[in-house]
Amino acid sequence: MASIEVDEFLPRPPGRVWQALTDPALLARWLMPNDFKPVVGHAFTFRTEPVPQHGFDGIVACEVLELEPPRLMRFSWRSANLDTVVSWSLAPEGTGTRLLIAHDGFDDTDPGQRMTLGILGGGWRGHLVRRLGALLEEDAG
Amino acid sequence: MPGPDVFDAIASPVRRALLDVLAGGARSVHDLAAPFEMSRPAVSQHLRVLREAGLVAEERVGRERHYRLDARPLRAVADWTGHYERFWLRHARLLRELLEEEG
Repeated sequence: MASIEVDEFLPRPPGRVWQALTDPALLARWLMPNDFKPVVGHAFTFRTEPVPQHGFDGIVACEVLELEPPRLMRFSWRSANLDTVVSWSLAPEGTGTRLLIAHDGFDDTDPGQRMTLGILGGGWRGHLVRRLGALLEEDAG
Repeated sequence: MPGPDVFDAIASPVRRALLDVLAGGARSVHDLAAPFEMSRPAVSQHLRVLREAGLVAEERVGRERHYRLDARPLRAVADWTGHYERFWLRHARLLRELLEEEG
C-alpha cells in the first residue's frame, strides 16, 4: 500500500490545533465544507469543486475511524476513484505542534491508483516525476 | 495485444532508475548497464518496455544506439500523483494561516 505524507509546523499547542481539526466550522475554513462530528463511526462528507480529469465529482465520503484527542484522528476518504484512509497525527514541538498528514491505502484497482502505487511505493516519492515536471516545463517554454 | 502502458513501465524500480539516469541525457545501453548489476540483454529488455510505453526513443549515433527520454507520456502521471500531495500541502498552509489569525 502506498502513502502520501505531508507535515507542517503549526505555531499553536496541540489542544488548539485539535479544535481546528474537529470543529466543523473551523474545519470548513481550512479544508472543505463538511458535516463532521467528532464521534467514532460518524459518516460525513466533504464537498468541493469537481475535478473531472480525475473522475472526481466533488464529494468525498468519510467515516471517523479513530479519535484520540489531541493526538490522532483517522478517517476513511472515499470518492469516485479512491478508497483510502487519512490520518492526522499531532505531536507537541516547542510551543507549537507538528501535524503529520498521512493519506494511505492507494491500491492497484485502477490506472490512477496503479500509478500511485508505482510512484509512491518503495520510497520513490515522486522524485522522478518532479524532475520530469521541470523537463516538461522546459519543453513547453 | 496492447503493449505495456506508462503505468506498467514505471511500476518497476529498475525502469524508474533507468528513467532517472536518462533524465540526465541520452545514453548507450553500455552506459545504462554500467551502474546496475545487470547484463546488457536484461537492460535492453527493460528499455524495450520503456520504448513500447513511449517513454524512451532510440537513435543511432555512429555504430551505437542511444536511448533518449521522452517524458510526455508521464504528464498524466505527474498530474495525478502530484494532485493529493499538492492538495494537502495547500490545506496544511491554510490551517497554519487560520491558527495564526485566530490566535
